[in-house]
Amino acid sequence: MKVLVPIKRVIDYAVKVRVLPDKSGVDLNNVKMSLNPFCEIAIEEAVRLKEKKIATELVAVSIGPKAAQDSIRTALAMGVDKGIHIETNLRTDQELQPLAVAKLLKEVAKREDAKLVVLGKQSIDSDNGQVGQMLASLLDWPQVTFASKVTFADDKQSLTVDRETDKGSEVVQVTVPAVVTADLRLNEPRYASLPNIMKAKKKPIETLAADSLIDAKDLQPRNTVLKVEEPAARKAGEIVDSVDSLINSLKNKAKVI
Amino acid sequence: MLSKTLAQTVTKFRPSMLTAALSTGRVDIFNPTPEHAELRKMVRSFVEKEVDPQALEYNREEKFNINLFRKLGDLGLLGIVVDPKYGGAGMDATAAVLVTEELASGDPGLTCSYATHSMLLINNILRNGNEEQKMRLLPAACTGEKIGGICMSEPSVGTDVLGMRSMATPSADGSYFTLNGTKMWISNGTLDGKDTGDLFLLYAKTNPAAKYGGLTSFVVEKGMPGFTLGQKINDKCGMRSSPTAELVFENVKIPKANVIGEVGGAVFCMMRNLQIERLGIAAMNLGIARRSIEIMTRYAQERKAFGKPIAEFGQIQKMIAESYAEYMAGRSYVYQVAYNLDLDAYGKGLDGDGTKLFMAATSKRIADRAIQCLGGYGYVGEYQVERLWRDSKVTEIFGGTNEAHHKNMAKELAKLGRIE
Repeated sequence: MKVLVPIKRVIDYAVKVRVLPDKSGVDLNNVKMSLNPFCEIAIEEAVRLKEKKIATELVAVSIGPKAAQDSIRTALAMGVDKGIHIETNLRTDQELQPLAVAKLLKEVAKREDAKLVVLGKQSIDSDNGQVGQMLASLLDWPQVTFASKVTFADDKQSLTVDRETDKGSEVVQVTVPAVVTADLRLNEPRYASLPNIMKAKKKPIETLAADSLIDAKDLQPRNTVLKVEEPAARKAGEIVDSVDSLINSLKNKAKVI
Repeated sequence: MLSKTLAQTVTKFRPSMLTAALSTGRVDIFNPTPEHAELRKMVRSFVEKEVDPQALEYNREEKFNINLFRKLGDLGLLGIVVDPKYGGAGMDATAAVLVTEELASGDPGLTCSYATHSMLLINNILRNGNEEQKMRLLPAACTGEKIGGICMSEPSVGTDVLGMRSMATPSADGSYFTLNGTKMWISNGTLDGKDTGDLFLLYAKTNPAAKYGGLTSFVVEKGMPGFTLGQKINDKCGMRSSPTAELVFENVKIPKANVIGEVGGAVFCMMRNLQIERLGIAAMNLGIARRSIEIMTRYAQERKAFGKPIAEFGQIQKMIAESYAEYMAGRSYVYQVAYNLDLDAYGKGLDGDGTKLFMAATSKRIADRAIQCLGGYGYVGEYQVERLWRDSKVTEIFGGTNEAHHKNMAKELAKLGRIE
């Protein structure tokens, strides 16, 4: 079974993000970029499926500028077999939006004849959390999102997935082909060992132009970003000296009671 | 088996580096190829998650984190320069330096054990051993199943290597040697504090009358009768998470098959390994320096005095700026030498000595500034810099003292006459 793993290169989680002076977006110049943490978890899950001999081939796909290949290389070093880089110069944190991404991935999934798509639940730059769901809908495949555990049946035709919701955990069973989005607790990603980093050098990365897969107008953003601002600075707290004073502040200042 | 899998995959590393240089004309000596960049990323992430959290405790308790060390083996880092057919990754000096720098930013002690094992022991066997020895000894060393180092210094002999007293007397038929002597300051000489380490490259004289006393390189293994742990050296100032020992050899029989290189040929074996050993120590200093700079820079932005962050005071700015420039100067020196180092060749010692001499003092000075910048907090274990400062001191002593480097370098420079 071929498994497709869409991944994204995003601003590193530890970076102190700054807004551009014209407020058109976040400053990406000379900023450290990394593989999206949820994508890393998705890769790890796919590699484990291959180790369990459930997946036969793993394909990583990433959309973005040339540098997106860095993330693909990390995926290859972790155990993915080949990479597809869909090239675009649209800003991947706000211009290239979930529906366009889902449409691109649908083409790749069909082209690769994938039977399972495993991807992160959301990216930490745009935090939309929509691609997996939209992709499943476009492909007309079942979807299980926020997976915290994935178990395949012996016949490899169906899988049981624990998913995390705000109300608690639920267990869902689906048949392949399917889309699964990875949540934080699904697994602990491995470090790419040096021998695997070296092996990755020989694995192929194919580059395709985004507009060769779908219509150029479908790539364009449907929502326009008007302004990006930093959140208001947190105000210092206030120490009160009595319960009455506290109740008064909660009622009249914070207006929460 | 690890060595079989790797044998199928990796070709010699050089071509990709050349391609990178040819295609753009420019090379980033710190990460010459995408694989180097990926390796650095991986090690940095590993340091952040697994090395940093344990560094203070293992330093405090003066014990060796053998499980973490073995994880370095799982990642393929122990055999980093070793040909894949013996279980290694077949990478170059730059990769070795890069890994050492990254590990040292978290735990210089652990890195000391790593460098001892990978550069002093493994690389030496790789360059000087015969095929049978390499096949027999390297795979287990590359996985971390066997951990060890080298035995050169003695209680009363350090820089004056040829003054050593350990004697390996050849048997009448030459089929074995009987070793007697004591070795001191042996990194990885013990792992648990109770017994010896697993595998060592030991230097001993075989014939007092011969040139260099017939100094020969032997492989000594744990369990050989007569080979015992004298004592674990405790209460070290720094590198406390790296175990150091005194080892005792009483009539230890060493088979001829454990002689590395020629009998009487140890000086040649030593020479071939010196460059990478010294670069390795210089790389440790780079890690110490970089971490110190990062800590003091961040602290200076957070700590306020007289109504503003101390980062706005000139003396603090001077500390930070000078430290960075010195670090980059040293880093460029180290990586430039590494980039041009052919691990197979009998290299010029001048820059191996030079990088270590410069970086040892530099890292100590930078760590010292970091303590000063952090004030009282800099004096306390939790804030790392006092540990980095203590760890840096020994780099002016081991792997060649400052004084030994002065002697070697002045001699080399006199021979050169002019600098190109």
